[in-house]
Amino acid sequence: MRYKSGYDFSYKLSVGHVAWILHRLSGLALMFYLGLHIWVISHLNAGAESFNKVMAFLNTPLFKVLEIGLWGVILYHVLNGIRLLLIDFAGGARYHKKLFWVAFFLVLILTILGAIPFLHHLHILGGK
Amino acid sequence: MKKTLEVFRYNPEKDEKPYFQTYEVEVYEGMTLLDALNYIRWELDGTLTYRRSCRSAICGSCAMKINGKTYLACKTQIIRDIKSDHIKVEPLPGYEIIKDLVVDMDNFFDKLHRVKPYHITHTPPPEKERLQSPEEFHYINEAADCILCGACVSACPSAWAGKDYLGPAALLKAYKFCADSRDEGADERLAIVNDRNGVWRCHYTANCMDACPKDIKITDYIARLRNMLVQDKL
Repeated sequence: MRYKSGYDFSYKLSVGHVAWILHRLSGLALMFYLGLHIWVISHLNAGAESFNKVMAFLNTPLFKVLEIGLWGVILYHVLNGIRLLLIDFAGGARYHKKLFWVAFFLVLILTILGAIPFLHHLHILGGK
Repeated sequence: MKKTLEVFRYNPEKDEKPYFQTYEVEVYEGMTLLDALNYIRWELDGTLTYRRSCRSAICGSCAMKINGKTYLACKTQIIRDIKSDHIKVEPLPGYEIIKDLVVDMDNFFDKLHRVKPYHITHTPPPEKERLQSPEEFHYINEAADCILCGACVSACPSAWAGKDYLGPAALLKAYKFCADSRDEGADERLAIVNDRNGVWRCHYTANCMDACPKDIKITDYIARLRNMLVQDKL
């Protein structure tokens, strides 16, 4: 009898491997969001009252914070997608680790910048 | 200075399950992991089984998983390259294990043969030989360095998950011949790699490039193969 190994979870994670895992997870999160979004919009079919009701439910602080997360997830998926395109068409494989860190810090900076209007809305940073 | 080697052991004729055995080895500056394995086999435990031959990173026999990453044992210096005092040595992941650190490479070479790793020509041979200029060689120089150790395939998550995936080594070889100015079989070969188990199964985790002991930018060559496939269709 021979011992066969499958997916190797003990393999040391590399930058490219982590980038790939995050891309899959962010993709799944976006799929989930898309479903949720269609569900919310579909309330329009049932008239204004139904839509206003679901919007009031979504206007809570929890969903505002989740929206900041959604913004970060979109940014990562887009910027890492551009990184993958550069690997595909511009020889980016030779500097893919640098590309990942550029994408990573852009995600951090843009998520924080993008969070400011959300936080204003929550009266955390002031505003009306 | 002593280091501890935790070595994967499995003898299918005797053991029900694989286990790890630890050995203490006195290490010195310049000693390679292969030297340490030789010391274990020759001085401590003659039953330890592993592949080795050239001990100078040319034959590609001694690829194994060293502290969680695949690389050649003979190209890993035990003090300079491994900071930890504890070294875990395992066989290449993704292959069937024959005994201890020896894996069955049949699957690896079968895939290599599938991409037709030889010159295909349709024109009659010239009087002496098919010449290649240094500029033409430049395109395949790096890709031709492959020593077929299998470390890249073992490092690839796509290869672990899909056992029919051609894998980085075979795709690199396909590129090498497709980009060779003397070869005329690129269309045949591209038709083989243009498959869900060919170039399109690579997800650019680029583990293969980290694992390659010859420092070949394999992921870049897989991308170039994809470009060869799509350049006429965009």
